[in-house]
Amino acid sequence: MSSYSMKNYVKSQNCKNGSEIMAMRSQIYEWTNLAPSGSTSTLFRRSSDIVVGLTSGTTVSVFVGGTGYNITKPAETTATQFVVIEDVACTPDNGADSDGNNGGYTQIRINTTNYFQNPDVTQQDGIPGLASPYPRGVNNFLKTFDLYPDIYVLPGQVWDVLYTQGTQTLTAAEVDDCVAVFCKYTLYDGPDALIANKLLELGITVNPNNVDWYKRTLIEQQSAATVGGSA
Amino acid sequence: MAMRSQLYEWIANATFTPDTTSSIFIGGTGNNITKPAETTATQFVVIEQVASTGTTPGNYKALATTGIQLYTQIRINTTDYFLDPDNKPNDGIPGAASPYPRTLTLQPSFTLYPDVYVLPGQVFDILATNRSLSNGNSPQMRCFCKYTLYDGPDALIANKLLELGISVSPANVDWYKRSLISQQSAVVA
Repeated sequence: MSSYSMKNYVKSQNCKNGSEIMAMRSQIYEWTNLAPSGSTSTLFRRSSDIVVGLTSGTTVSVFVGGTGYNITKPAETTATQFVVIEDVACTPDNGADSDGNNGGYTQIRINTTNYFQNPDVTQQDGIPGLASPYPRGVNNFLKTFDLYPDIYVLPGQVWDVLYTQGTQTLTAAEVDDCVAVFCKYTLYDGPDALIANKLLELGITVNPNNVDWYKRTLIEQQSAATVGGSA
Repeated sequence: MAMRSQLYEWIANATFTPDTTSSIFIGGTGNNITKPAETTATQFVVIEQVASTGTTPGNYKALATTGIQLYTQIRINTTDYFLDPDNKPNDGIPGAASPYPRTLTLQPSFTLYPDVYVLPGQVFDILATNRSLSNGNSPQMRCFCKYTLYDGPDALIANKLLELGISVSPANVDWYKRSLISQQSAVVA
């Protein structure tokens, strides 16, 4: 899209009704190892869900891993979407089998590449729940790790959050053995995704403030061009 | 009083049964208001925070009196704000991620940024979903919402800021007012 048409597109989208655009949206996803009795995964949360067992060291996708709460298809961005992953956290694992302590690790995968690697470029399990606990403050564990810089999922990419169970094996139907993964991301859609791509190209961090700044710049340029043209 | 910080607290009762989704404004459970929350033609609302009673996942399925699994979703007109990555609306923000009240052992993992704008003439709602085994009063479940209401001229300015791609906040509304006054002073001089 040319610079001029992009300006017009952005301007027209800005004038639309807000409920239709919602072009930058803060989104969350919470995974738990809860599913109805007799099955290992579910697409819908229910109060009657029970804990699904998970062996120590097992890795599952929180979206389509077949364990606990899942979605219908792998998480991916369309050609007009841009995702920025801002936070990932999970139940911590301090080696004790008790409520809130029997979690593990979370890894982020973009297409087929795992984000967190060892210094020798070998695979690791990712962020320990002890470093990025969910909920924050559980059993007095506070956050040591901040996902900064954020992780960008470009248009057309597939992304995933992988959970690896820590030292404790989770027992099915054991209430205390419910663990969770939390992911916070911002979804840029339509014109805002185009701007996010442009910011990336310019080497500017993609965040709502910078997207707004870029929009203002476009509008100012257009206003200046209009004034210049009429003079 | 053209820009006002506003809040709403909802306290559930026994009619908020497991697997129920209820509007915290007009859902017929807990404390309610007289009509759906909506903005008039001269109002603009910015929702800045939504929170609900939280607990650790290990307590989600604990028996009544301790277990809570509560979520809050924001709805603008008929559109749910929070979606799963497959574009399917989900239950919303877990109380574990945005707890109310906040405690030393339960702090927020989530902040609502960017804020959610309710434009003039839109209807907005906060939906609470109970996935616990217990009813809303045992243990007590609550939701909290913080928003800023822009009215009259400030709502017009809020619309203008939105059009310019500038975040709508009290500071930016004041900045825009100052700009207008400076421009007017310059013209008079």
